[in-house]
Amino acid sequence: MRAAFDRSFAEPPLTEHVSLQDFLAIRIGTDSYAIRLADITGLFADRPITRLPSADPAFLGIAGLRGAVVPVYDLGAFLGYPPGEARRWLLLVGGAALALAFEAFEGHLRLPQAALAAEVGQARSREFTQEVLHAVGSVRPIVQVAAIFQAIEQGTQRRGRSEES
Amino acid sequence: MWTFGKKIVAGFAISFVLLAAIGTVAYRAINSLTTTSYAVAHTHQVIEHIARLLIEMENAETGQRGFVITGDEAYLAPYQAGIAAVDALVKELRELTADNPNQQRRLDQVEPLVAGKLAELKRTVDMRRTSGFEATQQIVIGGEGKRAMDDIRALMQQMQDEENSLLAQRASEVEGSAAVGRETIGYGTVICLLFVAGAAFLLTHALTRQITLAVSQVKTSSTELQAAANQQAAGAKESATAMSEITTTISELMATSRQIAESAQHVAQIAEQTTSAARSGEGTMQQARESIDAIRRQMDQVVSHMLDLGKKSQQIGAVIDVVGEMAEQTNILAINASIEAAGASESGKRFAVVADEIRKLADRVTGSTKEIRTLIDDVRSAVNTTVMATETGSKAVDAGARHFGDVAIAFQQIAGSVTTTRQAAREIELSTKQQSSAVEQVNSAVTDVAQSTKETEVSSTQTLQTVSQLAGLSTELLRLVQPQRAA
Repeated sequence: MRAAFDRSFAEPPLTEHVSLQDFLAIRIGTDSYAIRLADITGLFADRPITRLPSADPAFLGIAGLRGAVVPVYDLGAFLGYPPGEARRWLLLVGGAALALAFEAFEGHLRLPQAALAAEVGQARSREFTQEVLHAVGSVRPIVQVAAIFQAIEQGTQRRGRSEES
Repeated sequence: MWTFGKKIVAGFAISFVLLAAIGTVAYRAINSLTTTSYAVAHTHQVIEHIARLLIEMENAETGQRGFVITGDEAYLAPYQAGIAAVDALVKELRELTADNPNQQRRLDQVEPLVAGKLAELKRTVDMRRTSGFEATQQIVIGGEGKRAMDDIRALMQQMQDEENSLLAQRASEVEGSAAVGRETIGYGTVICLLFVAGAAFLLTHALTRQITLAVSQVKTSSTELQAAANQQAAGAKESATAMSEITTTISELMATSRQIAESAQHVAQIAEQTTSAARSGEGTMQQARESIDAIRRQMDQVVSHMLDLGKKSQQIGAVIDVVGEMAEQTNILAINASIEAAGASESGKRFAVVADEIRKLADRVTGSTKEIRTLIDDVRSAVNTTVMATETGSKAVDAGARHFGDVAIAFQQIAGSVTTTRQAAREIELSTKQQSSAVEQVNSAVTDVAQSTKETEVSSTQTLQTVSQLAGLSTELLRLVQPQRAA
C-alpha cells in the first residue's frame, strides 16, 4: 500500500482520454443513491442540528458548517421517504446555501460517462432522479441536487410571499 | 326289647331253675329213699341179731339138753358156741339199737334174763357132770330154765315186733318219698318240656325273623360293599397309576431342583463376579469423575481465556472504531478536498490528485477496518460460539459428572443389588438343596405310598373277593334261614 501510494505521486498525471465523473454513494432507508460530487460543496458527518419549527416537513433545523449557519433539509423527504430516520450525514449544496441530510455514506465512485443511463423506474420518486448510475453490481439513481435546491428555494419563496400577503 | 342273649339266657335260666327244682326234689326223694333204705337195712340187721341171739340161746339150750340127756361132752359143742356168741350179740344189739330207747329198755330186761339162762345152763351142765342125770333132771323139771327162755323169747318177739313196725313205717316213708319223686320228676319233666318247646319255638321264630332281616341287611350291605370294593379297587388302580405318574413327576422335579441348585450356584458365582466388576467399575467411575473434573477445570480455563479473548477483541474493535472514524474523517476531508480542488486552478487539480489518493487510502483503510471489524466480529462470534460451546460443554461435563455420580450411585446400587442377589442366590441354592432333599424324601414317601397303593389295590381285590364270598354266604345263610325267600 505504501508502494502504491508512493507510486501515485511518482507517476505523472495521466491525461484522461475518457471523461470520468465523481459520485458519492449514499444510502437512504434501504435504497442506494448516487450524488455527483460536482453538485455539492462539502460533506460533513455527525454535525449537531438545531431543530426549528417550520411549515416545511423537509426542514430539519439549522447547523453550523464552515463558520456559517445553514438550513438543513431532509434529502429523503424529497425522494419520498418518511421522516424520523437518523440523518447522520450532511451535504452542503447550492454554494453553501443549505445542507441536505441523509442516513449513510457508502463511499466515493469514479465512473465514466457510459455508466450513466436514464431513469426507468428504479427510484421511489422520479422527480429528482432522472438518471441512474450503473456501479459495480448495482444500479443507483442519481439525485438531482440542483433540482432539489431549486425546489427548496421556490418553496421558500412561495411561503415568503404567502406570509407577506 | 330283649336281645337274643337275654332271651336265650332267660330261657336257659328258667329251664335251669326248673331242672334244679326237679333235681332238688328228686335228690331229696332219693336221699330220703337212701336214708330209709339204710334204716331198713339197719332194722333188718337188728332183726337178724335178735334172731341170731335167740338162735344162739336155743343152740346153748340144745347142747345143754343133749349133754344132760346123754352126758356126752360132744353134745356141748352148740352150748359152747352159743355162750361164746351171746355176749357179743347182746353187745352188738345194744349198739345197733342205741337210737331206740324202747329196744334199749328191752335189752336191759333181756340181758339179765340171758345171763340167768346162761348161769342155769352152766349149773345144769356142771351138775350133770358132778351129780348125774337125775339130779340134773330135777332142776330141768323145775322149769326155771324154761321160764327164763320163754321170757327171753317174749322179749325177743317184742323187739322183733318193734323192728317190724319200724320196717312197715319205713316202707310207708319210702313209698311217700318215691311218690313225691315220681310226681316231681314226671310233672317237672313235662313242664320243662313244654317250656323248652315254647321257648324254642319263640326263640326260633324271633331269631329266624331277625336273622332274616339281619342277613338281608348283610346281603344289601354286601352288595353295597361289593360296589364300594369295586370302586375302591378301581380307585386304588387309578391311585397306583397316579402315584406312578407322581413318582415320575417328582423324579423330574428332583432333577429340576438339582439343576436349579446348580443354576443358583452359578448365579451366585456370576453375582460375585458382577460384584467385583461393579467395584472395579466404581473405581473406574471415580477415575472418570476425576478426569471429568479436570476437564471441567480445563473448560473453565478455556472459557476464561475465551472471555479474555472476547475482551481483547472488544478492545481491538474500539481501536478499529477509532481507526475507522479517522479513516472516515480522512475520507470526508479527501472528498471535501476534491470538491475544493475541482473549483481551483491547475494546481488545484494536482491537489485533487493528492486528495484523491488520500481518499483512496482512506477508502482502503475504511475497507480494511471493515474487514478487520468483520474479522473481529467473526472472532467475537467464534469466541462467543466457543464460549457458548464451552459453557454447553461445561454444562455437558457437569451433566456428565452428575450422570457419572448417578452412574456411580447406580454402580453402588448394582453392587448392593448384586450382593443381595448373591445372598438370595445362595439362599435359593440352600433352599433348593433343602427342597431337593425334601423332594427326595417325598419321592421315597411317594414310593412307599405307591407300594402301599399297590398293596391296597391287591387288598381291594382281595376285599372284593371276600365281599363276593360274603354276599354268597349271606345268600346261602338267607336260603338256610328262609328257603322260600332265598329261592
